[in-house]
Amino acid sequence: MTSTDSALAATPASPDESSRHGTGTKATRVLGVATIVSMGWLLVFGLGFSPADRDQEEAVRILYVHVPTIWVAYLGFAVTALCSGIYLFGKKKSLQLDRIAGASAEIAVAFVAVTLAVGAMWGRITWGVYWQWDARLTTTALLFVTYIGYLAVRRLGGSHEQRAKRSAVIGLIAVLEVPLVHWSVRLWRSLHQEATVLNPDDGVQIDGLMLFSLFVGVIAFTLLYAWLLLHRSRGMWMEDVLDDRGLDDALAARRAEAGGRPSPEPAGETS
Amino acid sequence: MTEVHQSELDLSPRQNEAGRRAPNRRHWGAIIVLVLVLFAGGVIVTQFLTSAVDYYCNVDEVGVRDGCDPDRRIRLQGTVEEGSVDRVGSATVFTISFNGVTMPVRYEGEPGGIFKECIPVVVHGEIVDDVLVGDRVEVRHSNEYLSVNDERVADAVEAACEGGS
Repeated sequence: MTSTDSALAATPASPDESSRHGTGTKATRVLGVATIVSMGWLLVFGLGFSPADRDQEEAVRILYVHVPTIWVAYLGFAVTALCSGIYLFGKKKSLQLDRIAGASAEIAVAFVAVTLAVGAMWGRITWGVYWQWDARLTTTALLFVTYIGYLAVRRLGGSHEQRAKRSAVIGLIAVLEVPLVHWSVRLWRSLHQEATVLNPDDGVQIDGLMLFSLFVGVIAFTLLYAWLLLHRSRGMWMEDVLDDRGLDDALAARRAEAGGRPSPEPAGETS
Repeated sequence: MTEVHQSELDLSPRQNEAGRRAPNRRHWGAIIVLVLVLFAGGVIVTQFLTSAVDYYCNVDEVGVRDGCDPDRRIRLQGTVEEGSVDRVGSATVFTISFNGVTMPVRYEGEPGGIFKECIPVVVHGEIVDDVLVGDRVEVRHSNEYLSVNDERVADAVEAACEGGS
């Protein structure tokens, strides 16, 4: 069992077993409860305790979803790149790394979509427009589209190993857009404001309760990401096993035709 | 048990009853998505090169900086001067400033967003007789978040107006 396999040690033994138990385990159920609790915590602080902003008033509460979702999306793309790098350059070519990379990218793309959607609402309220082609918005849109392309490449067909190899190359290149997005507001003049928390300049002010609510948002969405990642990567493993089973069944049928005997064979395990 | 050698197997793609290979919709879907992604990527990069690089000119750069010519359509950034906002008929007039240089603005209608005095804005429009006739006003809110009840707010507002960011 590789280290990545051990990370998913609770994965059910076969898709048939999974169909009875789903992709959940005791650990994912605990993680799910923690996610729900932290989301409730975020609701209480985001909508209740944190104050309105002097300029944006109540609209500032969008901050607690907009910023955590893009940070966790950055994390998701980084995990995709890390797993891709280990798969490409590591000694053991575990397909589990590829599945974690793919699942992480899927979730991160969904989080970027949330960031863009709530950002558009926030923009309408504060800027007066839903969208403008400024540096931050344009680079974020490019990041979003790039990873949709990554997900499409994963579905181009071929063997699992071919899928893993070609998507790993893209996963390693695409992650270079993340620092470009983050630093776009400093590299170019932008309608979007500069960073508040991850700003190298001292003296950027943020209310204490607003900062704490933002912190709660980061925890809540990170837990949600981890919960989704475990479930989705296990779902991908099941898809691979079913693909292999389909191939094995087809080969068995051909053997039976050639040998004149029916010989359905059990599917092999996908590593 | 009869052993079947691999070379004896007919591994050609199986055909359906109509004699055609069953289409792989999953792969075609991915190819269509990739084509759309390439198209969208091209549009985004084009928008980046034409719009996103240097989104605006500051007021003090008009006629000075390359691309900030007063005889062409412009996006001008400056802070709304305190006490300058007024309504003239259906238009809103105000003055924006940056680094001590001011520019009067006339905007048909009421600016959206959190438009108010002492806040930086980007006005899209053309300069006619030394007045920026705007058709869009966008508010650039700062990266600072202060409670409405924070005692630092009064100082921050004062500093924003004095600074003319």
